[in-house]
Amino acid sequence: MSSSFRSHMENNSIAPLRMMMVIRAFETALAKRRDHGFQLLSTGEEAVAVGLCSALDEKDQLLTGGRSIGPALARGVDPNRLAAELLGKATGTNRGKGGRGHLADHGSGFFGAHAVVGGNISIAAGVALAKKMEGKGAFVTVLFGDGASGAGSLHETLNMAATWKLPLLFVCNNNQLSVSTARADALAPKRLSDLGTSFGLPSRTIDGMDFEIVAEAARTAAQTIRDGQGPVFLECISKRFAAHSTTARETRKAEELAEIRAQCPIQRQMARLRDSGILNAAAEEALEKEVETIVSEAFAFADSSPYPHPAEVLTDVG
Amino acid sequence: MIYQLTVPAAVPGVEEIRILEWHKEPGSAIEVGDLVVELETHKAVIEVRAGQAGVLRQILAQPGDWRTIGLPLALFSSEANEALPDEASGAEAMQVEFEVI
Amino acid sequence: MSDDTAPKMKRMFFREAIAKAVREEMTSDPRVFVMGQDVGAFGGSYREFDGLYAEFGADRVRDTPVAEAATIGIGVGAAAAGYRPLVSITYMDFMMLGFDALINYGAKLRFKTGGQLTAPVVIKTTAGALGQGVAHSQCIESWLMSVPGLKVVAPSTPADAYGLLKAALRADGPVVYIDHKRLFPIPGDVPIEETVFPFGQAIIRRAGLDVTITSHSYMVRVAMEAAQKLEQEGISCEVIDLRSLAPLDIKTVAASVGRTGALLTLEEGQTTCGVGVEVAAQVYESLGARPWARLGAQRAPVSSNPVLEPASLPDAAKVIQAAHRLLCR
Repeated sequence: MSSSFRSHMENNSIAPLRMMMVIRAFETALAKRRDHGFQLLSTGEEAVAVGLCSALDEKDQLLTGGRSIGPALARGVDPNRLAAELLGKATGTNRGKGGRGHLADHGSGFFGAHAVVGGNISIAAGVALAKKMEGKGAFVTVLFGDGASGAGSLHETLNMAATWKLPLLFVCNNNQLSVSTARADALAPKRLSDLGTSFGLPSRTIDGMDFEIVAEAARTAAQTIRDGQGPVFLECISKRFAAHSTTARETRKAEELAEIRAQCPIQRQMARLRDSGILNAAAEEALEKEVETIVSEAFAFADSSPYPHPAEVLTDVG
Repeated sequence: MIYQLTVPAAVPGVEEIRILEWHKEPGSAIEVGDLVVELETHKAVIEVRAGQAGVLRQILAQPGDWRTIGLPLALFSSEANEALPDEASGAEAMQVEFEVI
Repeated sequence: MSDDTAPKMKRMFFREAIAKAVREEMTSDPRVFVMGQDVGAFGGSYREFDGLYAEFGADRVRDTPVAEAATIGIGVGAAAAGYRPLVSITYMDFMMLGFDALINYGAKLRFKTGGQLTAPVVIKTTAGALGQGVAHSQCIESWLMSVPGLKVVAPSTPADAYGLLKAALRADGPVVYIDHKRLFPIPGDVPIEETVFPFGQAIIRRAGLDVTITSHSYMVRVAMEAAQKLEQEGISCEVIDLRSLAPLDIKTVAASVGRTGALLTLEEGQTTCGVGVEVAAQVYESLGARPWARLGAQRAPVSSNPVLEPASLPDAAKVIQAAHRLLCR
């Protein structure tokens, strides 16, 4: 299943659109369940994850914070095993023991999520150091939000990544809200990409609601890093369609939310592909069915899987 | 007159040193300020320099040997042809200057 | 009168035992590397990495800025990605800055990934009071012993420093390896041939009949000094050097207390939730109740003040006093 997700995510191909739709449908199906647990969803932010992953090779690794489901799917993690992990089943990527906050499947290039805000940033630099020492041209991406951008770990890691020229791509998915705190109230820099610039990293701020813009920026950044020029900082401005989490209160008003939803990255990419003739009505219908099948199969797999045995409390402790 | 060079208490907390290198041979004449021996502690090297003139007569510890503070390392005499005693311990202590590197 | 089966030993400084261990492991395993403040050309704050930079170069002996959180995080991440870093944190107090990466990620990595990943990183640090003030003197090993997934070891001799550090660099998960400032001036015999000491093995430093004294790190020397004096008063002490704090070798301690009938736990750190409490509780679980007393630092920060520092820490006299009270004689 996962190999189809690793198919070419070029512009003018259906694959990126399909991936964004899978993420949207998957998360929608998850949120509808009574047993969905505590989840952070990427609704509205799909273009960031999919655009970023279109620039990654098989040997590259991606680390994220707690908003991990969209990026994990975009990277090619098997939706079946992902759904199983979210529902705590033993067939999950982490045997049910990590959940959304710690999803990991390094075989797919998804080194892992870590639920501590900003906690994965220095870890990612360590993975990048390992890749540099291996010398096989792989690089590492760490995806974090505006909420993590005030954390000391980011600043310390920017400094060390720059001085050691680590092959590390810092991607700040700035959805402009950290739970309830607006980005401007939490962070002093005019643009978050200024954080990268101040340590000498090539840095850009781009529109995170457009797959092609994110993909182009990610590919340029990837090339810079592969050329041995050191770390790069990419800030993607995005909009979070839903509340911070499935338990957090929504702080925005209905009109604001309607305006935000009008910027849907899926609709934008679909319109683009329709305009260029790549997508017609029949193809669209087939696509919708395909996405629905992928998602329903994933949750059917999870539902039919067993929970881990209580004895697994004591396995893999170390 | 016979003098003994003993391990100086040069570094606080150090009770034992290791001989690093002798810079004079038995039979050499020593002037004040001459570097005689280097001693290693756990963190620094002690340069032991002569605080009085004389002749180095006998080396009692080789490079790599361990000695505690106060133990004799070498015998000196004012004159080149003085007879050496059987035991070093009776001899008067030689004046030294030391620098911790 | 030579014993051909006894390992050949060489007397060396504590720091040389450390350098020997690291050099051997870096030579035999290209994944081992060192990172920390002043580890490169400077050779380490205690010269414990002397010569490694010249031999292995800047890629494998990496100086870091003062940034313990990122330094530990990078070490943990590189370990998760297949390397075996030794992260040097000069003062144990400043490990606290890296607790998120070490404890929330490193120690939990194997469990949270369902066994996919593990982080074989060694955090090598130096604990203890030596006139450097309240934030440069702490012994916080007891905090770390309770973290599932984290191993903790503390040598008291150059030989154990050598053997335990080699074992640490070969372990399959994160290890905190703890030296003590007051151990560096004291030379000792170290095996010449490559030798690895296993974790989870305490060692009886002095056999005795009347009371078991357990300790670790520099306080083992204090225990031995007290034991020598107590012998003259007719009290025979069995002194056990724990060496490995997580995992603890309770079997050796319990067997000893089973023979002596009394336990005195000694540490330089705080006794509240300390190493001694854990030892005593596990001995109790194994043996049942025996008279027990704990001795450690006074419940206060350890000042650099020349009068207050020794007043706040255990010494041989306090150990002797505690033994008398424990044995009611």
